[in-house]
Amino acid sequence: MKTTEFTLDLQAYVDGELDSSRRAEVERALAGDADARRLVDGLRQLSELVRTHEPVAKVPESREFYWSQIQKRIAATEREGNRDRTPASRALQWLRWLAPAFGVAAVAVMIVLPRRDGSVGTLASGSTREDAVSMTFRSDADGVTIHWIN
Amino acid sequence: MSLKSDYPSAADEQLVAWAKDGDTEAFEELIHRHRDKIYARAMIMMRNEVDAVDLSQEAWVKSWQRLHQFQGESSFATWMTRIVINLCLDQIRRQKRTRAESIEEMQEESGGVERQMPVAETNPTEGLESEEIRRRIDEAMGKLTDAHRTVLVLHEFEGLEYKEIAKRVGISIGTVMSRLFYARRRLAALLQSLKRERSE
Repeated sequence: MKTTEFTLDLQAYVDGELDSSRRAEVERALAGDADARRLVDGLRQLSELVRTHEPVAKVPESREFYWSQIQKRIAATEREGNRDRTPASRALQWLRWLAPAFGVAAVAVMIVLPRRDGSVGTLASGSTREDAVSMTFRSDADGVTIHWIN
Repeated sequence: MSLKSDYPSAADEQLVAWAKDGDTEAFEELIHRHRDKIYARAMIMMRNEVDAVDLSQEAWVKSWQRLHQFQGESSFATWMTRIVINLCLDQIRRQKRTRAESIEEMQEESGGVERQMPVAETNPTEGLESEEIRRRIDEAMGKLTDAHRTVLVLHEFEGLEYKEIAKRVGISIGTVMSRLFYARRRLAALLQSLKRERSE
């Protein structure tokens, strides 16, 4: 009975994937094994049959329609590319990253900024969860409460 | 400067050069020449007309965007088939179709390749017209799992070596070998059974 390793080596032999020493070993084994030779012949025939009869298919759309679809896609990707390259879009991208930082900075300023009466606001509570961080700032003097959720 | 009348008679290399300069008509001529081959490759991988049209069009869009990278190391058609194959592999990964194939793969791995159905000893396509053989191979390939068909297509039609297939698909060389063997045996058995069905 052939082992899996030997069977796969026979296939690799057919596919030209063995180094010269292993190829010589397989050829010696083939000389005395009719089953192995039959398997090698079968694999060769099948491979040849498949390679020479690759399935064919025709695009089920007219030349004009197929091309027009591709043109639309090219135009869409180019529009997208141009939009990403405009100065305005670059600025917006920066703002998207800077917005949370601005928010935190604003809260920090309000906490430490002295009121006219000399008091400062208080960070009334903070809470964290795995997926969210929130802070609440309350200024009794100003009657203002700010919730910051990130 | 190219003339429109030159396009049908121009070589691929010339059309590529024109297209690199932004000539969309030259590019359209390239599409016209190779679209069926690119579509057929997507079709054999995806087994689905909608996906095949979509991915073949996507491949043309990508090729237009990357045309400057094509330096003629291979033929334009070969370069294009590589693009469409990569898109198909990405799509198959996204669809996670392999999950549905796990039972068959487990059977393959636990059974050992030598216990699978034997390679056909008689030619199942003997006496058939070339077109009929092509049709039968297509039908049989449609019955393979994506994982097995992918390896078979990359090896037999793309002519890739085991190590290159392993790299492209993200599997070990050993898995490439066992999938390829299983795919071939199954294909041989399917061709035999198709022959029996036709003769009954």
